[in-house]
Amino acid sequence: MSSKISVLVIATLGAISALISAQTLPDFSGVYRPINAFGPAGGGGGRAGAPQPAARPAPGQPLPPPTRTAPLSDGSRGRAADAPQLTPEYMAKWQAISKARIAGDTSSDNTARCLPPGMPAMMNMAYGMEVMQTKDKITFFSELNDALRRVYLDGRKPTQKVLDDPTYAGYSTGHWEGDTLVVDTVALRDNSYIEGFSPHSDQMTVRERIRFVENGILEDRITVNDPKALLKPWETVKRYRRAAPGDDQLREFACAEGIEHAK
Amino acid sequence: MKLRTIVSLVVVLSVIAMTRVGVGAHHSNVAFAVETVLEAKGVVKEWQWTNPHTWLIMVVDDGKGGKAEWAMEGRAPGVLTRAGWSPKVLKPGDQITVHYSPSKDGSKVGMIARVTFPDGRILPNAPPGD
Repeated sequence: MSSKISVLVIATLGAISALISAQTLPDFSGVYRPINAFGPAGGGGGRAGAPQPAARPAPGQPLPPPTRTAPLSDGSRGRAADAPQLTPEYMAKWQAISKARIAGDTSSDNTARCLPPGMPAMMNMAYGMEVMQTKDKITFFSELNDALRRVYLDGRKPTQKVLDDPTYAGYSTGHWEGDTLVVDTVALRDNSYIEGFSPHSDQMTVRERIRFVENGILEDRITVNDPKALLKPWETVKRYRRAAPGDDQLREFACAEGIEHAK
Repeated sequence: MKLRTIVSLVVVLSVIAMTRVGVGAHHSNVAFAVETVLEAKGVVKEWQWTNPHTWLIMVVDDGKGGKAEWAMEGRAPGVLTRAGWSPKVLKPGDQITVHYSPSKDGSKVGMIARVTFPDGRILPNAPPGD
């Protein structure tokens, strides 16, 4: 009798626990703005800070002239301390790209040519991010270049066909560990960048741990593995703030309209 | 006669090429000396509200009694909307002062830091708090 009661109690507790965990899975859905997208917390990669915010002048006084228009992104100050540590082969590639960029050559700038930023650089989300979440799939959309990635949560795994067909966003599968979404991304093209313009190989994989760290603040802890391009795995942390009412819509990007052939 | 036709054609094509003023050739911060900011005063000729970047075509006094056409590249419509801009915020004939970073190649192309109207209104290149 008592063993029957024990079984019943355990079964009931199990059911309640499953119900609670199902109900308490966080919902990341919504629009977010990056916190310090290009600053120190935004990872390295050779960028040198965000544009200076306009200072508030004293009443009646004109604003001082701006000191820069955009982050310095040609590598002319070398690599940031927290940039990915590249192998000699890939450091040589970075140096060649930097030399061209310093000379004003824009051919290495993928997003300026309307290509997707690719993973993991996409998670900078400089112009804003929209997350759409269901039980089986979570989708991340970037206003910058209208880039999109899907994370499958239904237990599917990348097939050989998927692995043979790399893309900019790659192929992402995820699962929940408590309140944290753990995402693995494979099948990435090698003509995008890890961050800034740090190059990578076709063997790069990305693991993310995504969770709310406080109310309305979403965090993505990113670990990049690449046995050919990196001396050791590169880690970076991105944070995003849920957009305030009135500032919670993304705009169409339609990059191709500025390209000559699209006119 | 034939040579004259060819010369005319070349002149016409060159003028067409020059009127483009490099628009579409940049689209990247890398093309500009981003840590240098200069000032240009002039008149709006055209305001192009396009992705990936906006373009402000303006006629600038060259300081020698002449005028020169410049193409000033702005950020994308989405981020500029959040900074207070719109497709109608600049109109042909508007008098403006533009702070800009010059092109590394020395062409008459700049990247916009901000635009100031004669009444002191300012259009910044980033939304408040960004």
